[in-house]
Amino acid sequence: MSDLNNMTAAESAATKAAVMNQVPGPEIEGQSPLHHADLASLAKQGPKTSGVHLRELKLLGHLTLRCNPANADQLAAVERVLGVALPLQPLTSSENGNYSIRWMSPDEWLILVPGLETFDIETKFRDEMPGHYSLVNSSGGSTVLELSGENVVELLKKATPIDLHAKSFPVGKVVSTLLAKSTATIRRTGDQRFELVIRRSFSDYIWLWIQDASLEFGLVVEA
Amino acid sequence: MTQQNRLTSGGRIDRSTPLTFTYNGKQYKGFKGDTLASAMLANGIDVVARSFKYSRPRGIVACGAEEPNAVLQLGATEATQVPNVRATQQELFDGLVSASTNGWPSVDTDVMGMIGKMGGNMMPPGFYYKTFMFPESLWDTYESMIRKAAGIGRAPKEKDPDTYDAINQHCDVMIVGAGPAGLAAALTAARGGARVIIADEQNEFGGSLLNSTEQLDGKPATEWVRAVVEELSTYDDVLLLPRSTVNGYHDHNFLTIHERRTDHLADIAPVNTVRQRMHRVRAKWVVLATGAHERPLVYANNDVPGCMITGAVSAYINRYGVVPGNELVVMTTNDYGYQAALDWADAGRKVVAIVDTREAAVGDRTEAARQRGLNIISGSAVIEVQGTKRVTGVSVAGLSASGAKVIGSVTKLKADTVATSGGWSPVIHLSCHTGSRPVWSDSVVGFLPGPTVQKQLTAGGINGQYETAVALQEGLDAGQKALAEVGLAVADVVLPEAKTLKVAAPMSLFHIPHLKPTSQAPKQFVDYQTDVTAAGIEIACREGFEAIEHVKRYTAMGFGTDQGKLGNINGMAVAAKALNKTIPETGTTVFRPNYTPIAFGAIIGRNAGALFEPERYTAMHKWHVEQGAMFEDVGQWKRPWYYPQKGESMQQSLNRECMAVRNAVGILDASTLGKIDVQGKDAREFLGRVYSNAWAKLAIGKCRYGLMCGEDGMVFDDGVTACLGENHFVMTTTTGGAAHVYEWLEIYHQTEWPELEVYFNTVTDHWSTATITGPNSRKLLEELTDFDVSNDNFRYMDWKQITVAGVPARVFRISFTGELSFEINVQANYGMAVWEKLIEAGAKYGLTPYGTETMHVLRAEKGFIIAGQDTDGSVHPYDLGMGWCVSNQKPFSYIGKRGMNRSDCTRANRKQLVGLKTKDPKQVIPEGSAAVLDPNGPKPLEIQGHISSSYWSETLGHSIAMGFIKGGLDKMGETVYYPLGDGTVIEAEICSPIFFDPKGERQNV
Repeated sequence: MSDLNNMTAAESAATKAAVMNQVPGPEIEGQSPLHHADLASLAKQGPKTSGVHLRELKLLGHLTLRCNPANADQLAAVERVLGVALPLQPLTSSENGNYSIRWMSPDEWLILVPGLETFDIETKFRDEMPGHYSLVNSSGGSTVLELSGENVVELLKKATPIDLHAKSFPVGKVVSTLLAKSTATIRRTGDQRFELVIRRSFSDYIWLWIQDASLEFGLVVEA
Repeated sequence: MTQQNRLTSGGRIDRSTPLTFTYNGKQYKGFKGDTLASAMLANGIDVVARSFKYSRPRGIVACGAEEPNAVLQLGATEATQVPNVRATQQELFDGLVSASTNGWPSVDTDVMGMIGKMGGNMMPPGFYYKTFMFPESLWDTYESMIRKAAGIGRAPKEKDPDTYDAINQHCDVMIVGAGPAGLAAALTAARGGARVIIADEQNEFGGSLLNSTEQLDGKPATEWVRAVVEELSTYDDVLLLPRSTVNGYHDHNFLTIHERRTDHLADIAPVNTVRQRMHRVRAKWVVLATGAHERPLVYANNDVPGCMITGAVSAYINRYGVVPGNELVVMTTNDYGYQAALDWADAGRKVVAIVDTREAAVGDRTEAARQRGLNIISGSAVIEVQGTKRVTGVSVAGLSASGAKVIGSVTKLKADTVATSGGWSPVIHLSCHTGSRPVWSDSVVGFLPGPTVQKQLTAGGINGQYETAVALQEGLDAGQKALAEVGLAVADVVLPEAKTLKVAAPMSLFHIPHLKPTSQAPKQFVDYQTDVTAAGIEIACREGFEAIEHVKRYTAMGFGTDQGKLGNINGMAVAAKALNKTIPETGTTVFRPNYTPIAFGAIIGRNAGALFEPERYTAMHKWHVEQGAMFEDVGQWKRPWYYPQKGESMQQSLNRECMAVRNAVGILDASTLGKIDVQGKDAREFLGRVYSNAWAKLAIGKCRYGLMCGEDGMVFDDGVTACLGENHFVMTTTTGGAAHVYEWLEIYHQTEWPELEVYFNTVTDHWSTATITGPNSRKLLEELTDFDVSNDNFRYMDWKQITVAGVPARVFRISFTGELSFEINVQANYGMAVWEKLIEAGAKYGLTPYGTETMHVLRAEKGFIIAGQDTDGSVHPYDLGMGWCVSNQKPFSYIGKRGMNRSDCTRANRKQLVGLKTKDPKQVIPEGSAAVLDPNGPKPLEIQGHISSSYWSETLGHSIAMGFIKGGLDKMGETVYYPLGDGTVIEAEICSPIFFDPKGERQNV
């Protein structure tokens, strides 16, 4: 990449979008949105069995891709970069190892990757993707909560009007919906396991809500 | 105390588990399985309330949701007070504390009772309105006295210790009511593989079968109930909800269920349990199997304790082993009334007479009574009851064939209990909730559910079908129909054998005539809870209230917490008679949610306390808290407002923070500003269309301020947008406007200009922003970056991608304070790391954290607007003196261009934003103050404008204000006056809103 701060006119015209490795070196530790809750300590102290388990999948790379699902060249480019196709069926997801893709809207997908691979993948997209699209790094703006356990469905039913019955919400389904008074992108990853992508600024509220609403089931925090 | 009315055997109570409860300060015993009402009756408690208007003693009438009198206050402590609890629906628990609410000072000695007895005829309907309205100023006083005397439950004065919540449910079939019809429907739907929810307000399923001695398949009906419930509980997809009242039936088969999970256990819910839960159900099909409420008859003194409905008498005997008296008189218009007499006789107590208003009715129940040798008086009625705190006797007289007149002589009988049945009213409340108008049926003598657009089925009593065999069949049919509708196969269900009894036709009679005209006869109550009498309804009709809705409002019929479940139909019948119409011609009132009262807690659920409203935090929030920041709510964000140091007043904090920025360097957490990433080859063109100013020539690496207007040309948001790449921009918005701006962009893109290749993404939460501002800000930044941030290399309105404190950052050299400023944006996961480094390195430069209030003061010193404070949807860029921010040279138009060029927007004398400098430099004009030209002129004074922003400026040593003045931009130097609420007037001079550094030199250094 050219130096954005000192570009020639030709370089400037060629720079369609600014891509930036936003992760500093390992000497600086990132603080996920629930850093202040100190889940690691709670995991050590808390109960080991209960109806609901919570784990933060923190500091992942979150990339929002917007492109044209009817553009075969773009779809092929996505497969070249991630090794997996975009889920085109509404409310579905696809995955390939550490990469997962959530359908968000008819022209929008959320791609989760390991945090340190984010810049690489972003760069590959910039090299591979043809046509009109946008790719945005939103890793700092959200986090992922994994909720599981025998009462996890009951817990989520208190927060979202979406029908979570396995018949209408099978494994792999993705829904962006209300979560109490906030929002979440909910994906079912197992019979009794879900991943919630939540916004950074609402994460403390959601954490408080989960603690309160799970009182009757008990809550295990996993590190 | 002994339970003198308790039978030694029978019923569904557990005599081995005695429970103690308190009523009005006295202790009593009951058993597990009792309701509070059954335990009170077992103990011979006759008076449970004083009536609302006349303060007459009242006793328990019914045994379910329809009970109008036994509405008590519950709670052992102040915090656990619950008003308006129907004793008939409250399960007894050990230690339950209850009290009557009506009656002052007590139900037994009552002040208002004297008025009721002596002044009865002086209190017609509308009495309170007519009597206490003058003088109007005293109504509040009257009202509090009336309320105290009339007695209405009270809310707790302390915080409710319990937890409530809500849960969303989905099902194929929602069955309301678990009597024979509901259970048959549920069993069918469950066997067919449907997702089923069945809810019932009682503590156990069975409905009417729990109250009777009926047999199914030759065994007690409750055996069948037990087997069905057992089977239902084996299905994963069947949810059984006892103690759960379906309180609302809303559009699109959305239902709300109020589940009482611990009210039967104790005063306070056990630790970590939810006391009440609201189920929000989305059902594909709904089966209403809500049964029917028995109607009492309306006769003289029918409110004396001991007057009940016949079904309740049977229920207390059969379900609770309680006979609520010794000598019973039954009055009935139908066969079902006989059952109470049969049950009473079986319990070994005296049946004085069965008074049947019909001549020679012959059905299986009438014949059973005849064979038992019970005294049946046909073609007659109880026209009056004797007694005050308990029935002592009745007057029985013959009726004309139509029931309209008393004929023949009056016989007095001694009795302590009168049970009446005027027939049954189907419980159509839920069906009415969705807007369906009920339909009168002459054969049922009641209203049936009307046509509906909901996917709704009905079965059993709600259809006027009161025989168990028919109810079971209707339930099964509804279950099969629901299965078919949701695409499932017919289920294999065999119904139990129920004995079908022959039933003689009922008589359509509601209001029992008296020897005297209604207006002169002793009171004949229609609605117990609101003290509405037959005479009152006749007066209302005479006074010209013909529509039943008006009669209802004038008399207050049906306005109690029981919504007139017992009385409404009788009231309509009385009105119909008075108006010489039929009941269907008179019409009916309908019902609204909720079916029974709900605790506020259950409505609020978990959205209380810390969870009342989400609080949005930035990545540096914890630091602000630790520094003792005071917070301001901006939307849902918590933003540091100011950082008081020990002993500082707010103004002192602001002065210190302001001076630190002007003389050294300050730091602001600006992360909450909305940020929208804009990509695509037409991004630049799009910006030109949504902002009023030009974007065509903004180079990569540059930032520009923009104003966003609505179609009307009025400013609604503003912010700085930076060009990141040829096809890439990042837009900032106001904190509160972020969501709206994002939607605004999407709407315009999707509906107006879909041909433009551009995508938007919100990145507000992704970036953390630390703004350092002040003359020392460059020195501070230099310490944390290798990049050359000198004025030559990093110009005002540039942005640079550099590393700050080891973290990759985008730094914008833009300024909202007028000082040299750098806004440092890093991925939010690293926001705190950079912030802490800045704080550490900044100490030697006098780095001072400041909050939104100081930010407001500093920007006002520079005359910078805040969208939403200095704009209110009625000002366009020219009104703000910001014509420089409008470009009319753009090839394509922009949103607001047409609007701001309308004649009214270009006329002279519009209110324009100016600065205001007070004559007395110490005076700060209150925000919102109105400007006038002559405070002593004739009133009303013509208002010239108002103050939108006003502060004390420590920098300048005088107050500053921004505000609107008609034609203000042409009135520099003129004087305006701000008259205040306290009578004083502030004099101010119109000036430029830029109070400080008018040439903008400080930000350019």
